[in-house]
Amino acid sequence: MNPEFIRTICPYCGTGCGLVLKVEEGRAAATYPDRENPVSRGSLCVKGWVAHEFVHHPERLTSPLLRKGDRFEEISWEEAIALAASKLKETAAKYGPDSIGGLSSAKCTNEENYLFQKLIRAAFKTNNVDHCARLCHAATTVGMLQTLGSGAMTNSISDLAGADCILFIGSNAAESHPVLMGEVYKALDRGAKMIVIDPRETPVARNAHKLLRLNPGTDIPLLAGMMRHIVDKGLHKTGFIEKRMENFEALKTFLQAWPVEKAAKETGIDEAVIREVAETYARAENAAIVYCMGITQHACGAANVIAVCDLAMLCGHVGKPFSGIYPLRGQNNVQGACDMGALPNLYPGYQAVADAAIREKFQKAWKADLSDKPGRTVTELINAAGKDIRALYIMAENPCISDPDVNHVMEALQRLDFLIVQDIFLTETAKFAHLILPGACFAEKTGTYTNTERRFQLLHKAVNPPGKAMGDFEILCLMGKALGLAFDCNSPADVMSEYAGLVPAYAGISFNRLERAGIQWPCPDESHPGTRFLHGEKFTRGLGRFVIPDYTPPMEKPDAEYPYYLNTGRVFAHYHTGTMTRRSPFLNREIEDPYVEIHPEDAAALGVGAGDWIRVTSRRGSIVTTARITDRVVKGSIFAPFHFTEARANMLTNPVLDPACKTPEYKVCAVKMEKDHEAKAR
Amino acid sequence: MLDQVKQKAKEILEKKEADGVLGLRKGLFDVIHPHVFTVPSELDALVLEPKWLFAKMARAILREKPQAWRLAVIVRGCDERAIVELVKRNQIDRERLLTLGYACDMDQAKACLCSRPFPQKLDAGAAVEGVDPLADERVKAYLEGDAGKRMEMWAAQLKRCIKCYGCRNSCPICVCVPCKLEDDVWVERGVIPAEMISFQIIRAFHLSDTCVACGACQEACPVGIPLMTLQLSMREALKKDYNYEAGLDANRKSPVLFDFAKEPRPGQAVPDWVDSMGKKP
Amino acid sequence: MSAERGNVKILVFTCRWCGLIGADGAGRKRIELPASYRVIQVDCAGYVEPDAVIRALASGATGVAVLGCHVGGCRFNDANHPALKRLELLKTLLDTTGIGGRRLLLGFGTAHESHQYAEMIVDFHRELEGMPSMASWLPQGE
Repeated sequence: MNPEFIRTICPYCGTGCGLVLKVEEGRAAATYPDRENPVSRGSLCVKGWVAHEFVHHPERLTSPLLRKGDRFEEISWEEAIALAASKLKETAAKYGPDSIGGLSSAKCTNEENYLFQKLIRAAFKTNNVDHCARLCHAATTVGMLQTLGSGAMTNSISDLAGADCILFIGSNAAESHPVLMGEVYKALDRGAKMIVIDPRETPVARNAHKLLRLNPGTDIPLLAGMMRHIVDKGLHKTGFIEKRMENFEALKTFLQAWPVEKAAKETGIDEAVIREVAETYARAENAAIVYCMGITQHACGAANVIAVCDLAMLCGHVGKPFSGIYPLRGQNNVQGACDMGALPNLYPGYQAVADAAIREKFQKAWKADLSDKPGRTVTELINAAGKDIRALYIMAENPCISDPDVNHVMEALQRLDFLIVQDIFLTETAKFAHLILPGACFAEKTGTYTNTERRFQLLHKAVNPPGKAMGDFEILCLMGKALGLAFDCNSPADVMSEYAGLVPAYAGISFNRLERAGIQWPCPDESHPGTRFLHGEKFTRGLGRFVIPDYTPPMEKPDAEYPYYLNTGRVFAHYHTGTMTRRSPFLNREIEDPYVEIHPEDAAALGVGAGDWIRVTSRRGSIVTTARITDRVVKGSIFAPFHFTEARANMLTNPVLDPACKTPEYKVCAVKMEKDHEAKAR
Repeated sequence: MLDQVKQKAKEILEKKEADGVLGLRKGLFDVIHPHVFTVPSELDALVLEPKWLFAKMARAILREKPQAWRLAVIVRGCDERAIVELVKRNQIDRERLLTLGYACDMDQAKACLCSRPFPQKLDAGAAVEGVDPLADERVKAYLEGDAGKRMEMWAAQLKRCIKCYGCRNSCPICVCVPCKLEDDVWVERGVIPAEMISFQIIRAFHLSDTCVACGACQEACPVGIPLMTLQLSMREALKKDYNYEAGLDANRKSPVLFDFAKEPRPGQAVPDWVDSMGKKP
Repeated sequence: MSAERGNVKILVFTCRWCGLIGADGAGRKRIELPASYRVIQVDCAGYVEPDAVIRALASGATGVAVLGCHVGGCRFNDANHPALKRLELLKTLLDTTGIGGRRLLLGFGTAHESHQYAEMIVDFHRELEGMPSMASWLPQGE
């Protein structure tokens, strides 16, 4: 038999590269880059090239599993769905609707996310539904909604190639979003300036013209210092501000408190450098700011985002091509999951649950009674587990590695009356489940992902899920019906037409328009070609608003007992909780062991050599990992990737939340290190 | 030209010259993908664009099929040369493979900086004259000028590498399993950019006398490293020293495999201990 | 661009029939030689993979020498001919990238030419001292 070739979208980062899967006898045998994809144009990163490797892994879940004591037993789908429905209904009846919570997934398609939040909201009359955007870009949504009116990336990835100045803040795109860097390098080859603000010398920083190694968590002082200098020098775009902005006076007052000298002292960066960078950014004809977790994963994440927006608006670098603000989305469909309303305070299309008129619209559409009270976020759901929250339905998320302070998460999950986990592997989280539902991976489903540039892209089913496993779409339909909802949708295309009818920005999007190139929302009608950049004529919220960013220094600073800063992040060969990449032989060979990066002087002081096993301890937990000795980190701080289940960096991280968006402060916490003599020699 | 290719391919299948024809098909959801056509009626879905090299795939297909099974491959110039190179390395049995060659147009030749945009066995289309890659401004910038400047230019490019292995994966001739680039005796694993000397120079050197200048590596590179230019100087050196070009003559193996008697280097003496430093005693 | 002065590291791959004996002879004759080189003995220059040369440069060698018998005098008939051709091709690549083909020394001589051997190493050392630094090509930190 001849192999089939199926076009689909990469399941890893938010760039949204196109893949062509080669299917031989029902198995995904190879991956090729899709040359017609407008984002990746025939390139892939190392993860994309081997995306087929985990699909047929022998550890895939093949049957619903029910916990019997310490073991799991296979049960039939009928039993599983009936049990799940009855347990959830029971719990809701006993403890009230707000005792149920759902974690949707940025790994699943838009249609599945839409169904999931509809299921939780309509079946239980609660808004306790959230997903992992809380842990990454919730700060962006909150911050950008206040300033611009839309939490999405303002421009397209291809716009980066035309920028004259690109400012990276807290983004290591070369490892996290590798294919996107191609556009950045096109700009550099044209003569653009690239400036990186990061405490660590990342692979992005090594290609930059300038690297500003600021003290961890001092982004606002730096940005404020830059803005102050721009205003002092009169480099701000007065015309743009007068015509399109409001609240400029308040910003000026705020900047009075941040002379460049003070910013320099706080950030540890030379005054002259701050001035120079500010001028480079302000004077550039088209300038882009790319930011990522280094901005959002702080106790003042939302304020950091606000400061970024203020800087861009001050210089008029928004609402035109080749410039703008680029919050790079970490997951293939985190943009989509947010768009589809898997958020406790927003319905699909960022429509507030608290707004009576909007609630009325959704009640009518879904023929159900809906709650007007915003629900709990991921971190709050976990904290309240076993207390106010009695049952959780987790779809394709792995908080036991991804959430901060995972020891606490594991305790919390054990306190639950009933935990349903729907996933493709027996993840660390699934081990705590009472009921496990085997779902499908990207190659086994039809649907859409929305990438970081708001582009809806189509996935095609290439292979069947293993054993009795089912597509998440089908599972959700069964669950919905069991819970008494009218989930009669035949296909993801039906679901898309349902939400296209409820959200004006997606009104023109339908499956048959998405083949090949996809469409960037907003797309208000059938003939609209999609939107390359936002805020062109006017901002989504009308006038852009300068909001005052409140600076909070990192909550936990190194002290005598815990003398090092810990920074966490990704590496190029692995992805998030490693559920997929660590089961991919090629990627796991590339990086097998967990590691932390340590500065040579610190290593010498501790007597640690390259490859030695060391124990890293914070106030919350302790891990054993290997040492990589490098001056990419500054003295006194270490870096740990968080993908490794045997050494979970999130055992150590601080679960303190940004009050505005509830994003935890992953990027800064205090740890101590010692050489581990007991650990096995390498 | 497409019709011409389709016609010839149909003839091949009808006359049973081959059991399958490997080419591009516009398939389900309009995905353009490589496909082995086995019945003539299927060939209506045949397309020629985008450029896709089949040499490595032809090798894989022939390995799976029984000995008597024959394959015809629809090839461009570069793909034909890649097949010749694999034949030389005993990766493809020439007896089991025939080619159906067509010529690239001038635009394609310019895009690839191709000096030979046509196969030797031309079945469809008219050959256009090639482009001299050495005349290209960008290529010149990378190959000429002061060594120190070149070193910085190349370092700046190679520092961008994200170690996707795309150059290796897309190369029609890289077929080694296991690959040295994955072995940490040769290349340190788990760091990006990929070690600049060992990863990049080893990869380039392994293709020194094999590279057919198809440009697949450069097209697959997400960060736009001018990888073809790296090969170009070695290709030119082989041309100048031995009058050898990869992929042209299946009967002539790479001159670096033979002694000076069999593959002499015209006009150049064999270096001695002392004259390797550029002076005679 | 800093020169490598005082920091030269030379790795010599030498065949045990000619080059090695030549090196030995230079030592026995007490000819003054730079301390910057280390010798790895191989059975024939034909055994030296170009990859090994590349790996040596990547691991911090400033220069690599591959020494064999006179072309025509090889113990393995013509094995040093392809070795020479391959490594010359590698020089081309090193020149292209600006690393410099001069970092690779190819020498073919006989066992009794120890004076020439010494002179060659001294000259090679001196030449490498004047070469620009390869720092931008080497992994930092580790």
